[in-house]
Amino acid sequence: MDKVLGFLPFMLEGSVVTIEIFVLTLVLSLPLGLPVALGSNSRFKPLSFLCKLYVFVFRGTPLLLQMWFFYFLFPMAFDWKLQAMSVVVVTYVLNYAAYFAEIYRGGINSIDRGQYEAAHALGLSKRQTMIDIILPQTMKAILPPIVNEAIVLVKDTALASSLAVIELMKATNSAVNRLTDLTPFFYAAIIYLIMTFVLTLVAGKLEKFFSRYDAKEEW
Amino acid sequence: MNRETVLEMKNIVKDYGDFRAVNGVNFSMKKGEIVAIIGPSGSGKSTLLRCINGLIGVTSGEIILTGDTGMVFQHFNLFPHMTCLENITYAPVKVKKENKEVVKERAMQLLKMVGLEDKADVYPAQISGGQKQRIAIARALAMEPELMLFDEPTSALDPEITGEVLNVMKKLAESHTTMIVVTHEMGFAKEVADRVIFMDNGVIVEEGEPKEVFENPKSERLIAFLSSMLRA
Repeated sequence: MDKVLGFLPFMLEGSVVTIEIFVLTLVLSLPLGLPVALGSNSRFKPLSFLCKLYVFVFRGTPLLLQMWFFYFLFPMAFDWKLQAMSVVVVTYVLNYAAYFAEIYRGGINSIDRGQYEAAHALGLSKRQTMIDIILPQTMKAILPPIVNEAIVLVKDTALASSLAVIELMKATNSAVNRLTDLTPFFYAAIIYLIMTFVLTLVAGKLEKFFSRYDAKEEW
Repeated sequence: MNRETVLEMKNIVKDYGDFRAVNGVNFSMKKGEIVAIIGPSGSGKSTLLRCINGLIGVTSGEIILTGDTGMVFQHFNLFPHMTCLENITYAPVKVKKENKEVVKERAMQLLKMVGLEDKADVYPAQISGGQKQRIAIARALAMEPELMLFDEPTSALDPEITGEVLNVMKKLAESHTTMIVVTHEMGFAKEVADRVIFMDNGVIVEEGEPKEVFENPKSERLIAFLSSMLRA
């Protein structure tokens, strides 16, 4: 047991890397999804085609495949020697942005036409309409699927272990191998569960915030 | 174009694919005039109204406006994530770049005018349909448009609460706000409008003073329409 505990700091270091991948991916892919969503909805056909193609490819192929592809592509095509961690982040951002784009697009398309008409009738620009009228209203609807993706992302970080990035999964694996004991798997499971639990808590708070303008029982 | 003219439409045609929604409408109105457009569903009334403020483009014809328009919709279309006050102040501040405090003061006056000062900080989801429509009227007026367009403003409301909206519109009429009202409220058209236009199949079939149109309809179609409204 003490031996297993001896590996805990190592696993916690791995957890920090896991959290790094998670946070970097989320912080970069959440905003990147928006122009893709708007592009997909664009009336300019070539732009909408490109955005849809992007989503099609990144959503339709395995994350692992994309990761390995970029891992070899950067050194071969551009002579860039990227660290494994950078490859992981680039791949995850591109992959998750595709999912978020589709979530945004669904949210935007769910807003009633009347909102656009009212905005137009008041003389709002397209930009003002999107930023101040449409997007704030999509928040409540897109939050649950975004949280869902974020939870999937926590677990997807484990795929980075295949590129020799020492995140929680990789650290756990080496602990199990060295100890020939399965307990580290349980520790890892608990750490993942804590992460997803925290996410669920944050999501609950956000959901409450974004439903603040819903009907309250006043009349 | 007369100095007093605020809107002139010349030979307006609007097609949706093969369907001709508006088929050659000529129409003009003067400042302070109140026009009611009546007619059966699908007659092109709403389409015509939407052509005026550019919500939809015309297929052919010419529209000349001397100022801004404001519009009130059948389904209110308030911004649900903004309080009633914010709904009213948003456009003057963000679009016309007016001073926030000045706009707020005007908004409060408008809220008073529609009888909803106490709802300033309430979200639209918390008020009734009639109240929503009154806020929507205040929102449109806050932009100080030269011409107000009403697209069936009471059609989505329960009959017993249409009165509160119609009363606000009567107030506007008394203060000589120029307006076009697409409506099924024949009583309102008769009482408030200076001119009534009857549309059917995308054309103006008859127009004139309310008395003339309602008491002495000339065309078969208007006679049929009016009797169908009486039965309803």
